[in-house]
Amino acid sequence: MERASGGLLATSQQDPALSGNGKWLAVISDLRGRQTVQMRNVINGSIQALPQLKRHQPHSSPSLSWNGRYIALITQHGRRRMAVIADRLNGRLHPIQLPGGRDPIQVSLAPDAQTLALQVTDQGLWRVEIFDLSDVLEIDRPAGQALSTPPLTPAP
Amino acid sequence: MRMVSLSLGVLLFLAGCSSDRPRPRPELNGLLRQSVSSRRDPSLGQIWLASLGKRGGRERIELIDLRNRRPVPLPGLNRADAQPISLSVSGDGSRIAVVQQRDDRTELFLYRRNAAALQRIPLDPPGVPRSVSLDGSGRLLAVQVSRNGRWDVDLIRLP
Repeated sequence: MERASGGLLATSQQDPALSGNGKWLAVISDLRGRQTVQMRNVINGSIQALPQLKRHQPHSSPSLSWNGRYIALITQHGRRRMAVIADRLNGRLHPIQLPGGRDPIQVSLAPDAQTLALQVTDQGLWRVEIFDLSDVLEIDRPAGQALSTPPLTPAP
Repeated sequence: MRMVSLSLGVLLFLAGCSSDRPRPRPELNGLLRQSVSSRRDPSLGQIWLASLGKRGGRERIELIDLRNRRPVPLPGLNRADAQPISLSVSGDGSRIAVVQQRDDRTELFLYRRNAAALQRIPLDPPGVPRSVSLDGSGRLLAVQVSRNGRWDVDLIRLP
């Protein structure tokens, strides 16, 4: 078993989330008293900017897709907690609307970014709800994975 | 006035976002409500959902195959004397990392489905684990650890 050095990052860190390919780590850091998501390259330790998520703290419960293109997390908008998905490739932000006054608590994004699981409070109980994102997000697939193009067959 | 500006802020935020909507999956969400009093800590793999379902006052780790919406047996994972705290399933569904409490000790474990084996993962230096994440293959693990009154994140490579 090989270990990275204990206490990977300098300040207090919570809610770690690895990308599917293991190259990216998202954590919630206390930055000037605000719980803010940070994304780090696991290999060289560099921090990746997330300009579309600069505000709306406190952040919590980050989750990454396979290549780290998408980051899902819980944010604060006015009095409401809101789950959002940020696309690091084009800068777009996708809010997840929850009807009926339910509050999002925790979020998990599938590696290919086609499915989202949300833990919500519903009449004082915790529920998990699944959403299909195939109309919203492009697939974030592993490098080198075959596309769905049918194989060429020799002419009869 | 403050309320109006807050609402305006949310509207402006939403206007700058995508108009496409995520679609709820009612057949799956109905199943997730059945036979549990509450469910928390979802973790998605490629075709897997792991979560903590509460039945009869006790929480158990459950893994559901999203293709057929059926729970998968996890022999040896849920112990009667252990309380699961958090979990993460690898993208391929082969491994589940779990933080659980037993006899006043909170420890990190790795469950391998093909061997039905639960292995304790020691923390070095020692600390109290809380939140955990596996990568797609289940070979890299990130864990939030309390040490000396602050939270660290450790990365652990697994064979």
